[in-house]
Amino acid sequence: MILFIIKRLISIAATFFAVSIIIFLMMHAVPGGPFDGNDMPVSAAVREQLMAKLGLDQPLWVQYLNYMGGVLRLDFGVPYQSPGESVLSLLANAWPPSLILGGLGVLIGAPLGILLGMAAALNRNSWIDYLASAVATLGLTIPVFVTSMLLILVFAVWLNWLPASGWGKPERWILPIVAYAAIPLATYARYTRSAFLDNINKPFVTTLRAKGLSERRIIFQHVLKNSAIPMVTVFLPMFIGTATGSIFVESMFRVPGLGSYFVSSIQNRDYPLEMALVLMVTVAICLAYLISDIVYALINPRIRFGGNKQ
Amino acid sequence: MTTETDVALAVPPAYVQRSPAYFALRRFLANRAAVGGGIVLLILILAAIFAPLLSKSDPTAQAFLKDSLAFPSAEHWFGVDDLGRDFFTRILYGARVSLTIGFAAAAFSVLIGVPLGALAGYFGGKTDWFIMRLIELFSVVPPLLGAMLLGALTGGGFVTIIAVAALFGWVGVCLLVRAQVSAFREKEFVRAAQALGASPWYIIRRHLIPNSVSPIIVGFVLSIPLAMMLEAGLSFLGIGVPPPTPSWGQMINVGMNFVFFYWHMALFPTAALAITVLATTLFGDGLRDALDPTQKGR
Repeated sequence: MILFIIKRLISIAATFFAVSIIIFLMMHAVPGGPFDGNDMPVSAAVREQLMAKLGLDQPLWVQYLNYMGGVLRLDFGVPYQSPGESVLSLLANAWPPSLILGGLGVLIGAPLGILLGMAAALNRNSWIDYLASAVATLGLTIPVFVTSMLLILVFAVWLNWLPASGWGKPERWILPIVAYAAIPLATYARYTRSAFLDNINKPFVTTLRAKGLSERRIIFQHVLKNSAIPMVTVFLPMFIGTATGSIFVESMFRVPGLGSYFVSSIQNRDYPLEMALVLMVTVAICLAYLISDIVYALINPRIRFGGNKQ
Repeated sequence: MTTETDVALAVPPAYVQRSPAYFALRRFLANRAAVGGGIVLLILILAAIFAPLLSKSDPTAQAFLKDSLAFPSAEHWFGVDDLGRDFFTRILYGARVSLTIGFAAAAFSVLIGVPLGALAGYFGGKTDWFIMRLIELFSVVPPLLGAMLLGALTGGGFVTIIAVAALFGWVGVCLLVRAQVSAFREKEFVRAAQALGASPWYIIRRHLIPNSVSPIIVGFVLSIPLAMMLEAGLSFLGIGVPPPTPSWGQMINVGMNFVFFYWHMALFPTAALAITVLATTLFGDGLRDALDPTQKGR
């Protein structure tokens, strides 16, 4: 097991460096530099000095090594747009809203989705089954900003029940959390349903019934455990969907979170900030990979011992 | 006395040999959601093609500046936007942008995904390992982030978005084709072709790709909504199709600023995008279930 985790960690580190090199090159291949914008016009001499101070006049590979050396010491540099702060402090102010809203969205959406999927599988072709299918299809096909827009139109504009945007008061959290919860809810409703349907007519369930086990224990203890693998598999795509969805949800609901920096850092050629954000997302996704691999290995010994990397 | 002619002999039903396509069609038609999605998609395609006939005004001309922000009426079905353009016309021409990008990106996804998937599936081993690592790299960078960087790299625009969407869309097609090809690789007819001295290239082209037609069709249709969502997302963030060209994502972003007073600016592009994406996905899902019944419900 430890060997397995070490192996995965090495492959994750390799992916991390591959992504960092690609992103770094792509970022610098974008025409234009951080001081070419019109809102902060600087003379050529000043620009040259700034470029030299920030090390932007050096060859790319030196810049890359400098930057990554800093990253390994958790120093992500200084954002060009607000030189008084460090990237780390800027992000430290921005991540709580994103984490609270996204985290609550997943924590509420995923269990609800699992319950909905279970209810749908146990009452096949009933209204709850159709409801689950409808929720799953809508949640997985309609982009997050469309869901957000519809929520705002219905609950803030027409019914006037909830505030449409902002941050601070708990009632302002409700709509963004619902928007965030849509993806985990839909994903889990769909995959729990199909995993349950696969298992519910297997011989082991009949055996358990014949043994006289209560229906509740059969469902929650045995069928749920056997349906867990596809549920772990979809965790990663769901996580990526929620993470990138944050860019839209936060821009729709005007939440001062990480999402807004993604766009502004790219538009302003703010290399350190942009790099820090992309690397953070990559690390988060790699960690999600690792966690789902470990959970896989825990629930399915064949993966652990077979050395099947998938 | 009754004549023999009155006695009708039970005619045995004529034996008709049905092709797999017939059964696929039957399965597709039995799926009401998929048929509905297909009909809506067809209407949208026709509306996009015949947009100039359905609306007389120009989507970029500020012809109704005096009525700026007017609500929907008999004259302007979806109202007028903030710059004095008929909103129905804008939505209609937005369908052109969305559908063109969706279909073109899906076509390029197939062009990249089919050869790579066939190579990975047929040769396995190192080739497969390399292509799978490539796919892994693409799945670690979320499509939207990569698209944002690439969009900035190239300055956005119509062609760029098609390229970006194809770059991130081929993975799905590639995996579908790879699975099909590696399942057929060991079949007797491929063995026979190998024994007769056919080259790998010939086998892939003449035997394996024609046998993968259903996953290719499914992959094509299912990458359309993904590309449309990517385009709308990028345009929403202001790094997609540049402004005078009507794009639903862009209109949603503008509508957001007017949502409390001029709700029509937000509602119609949102609804148009939702309906189009939903219809295409339902159609694609139905097609997948019809062409490959073993995958049903996944």
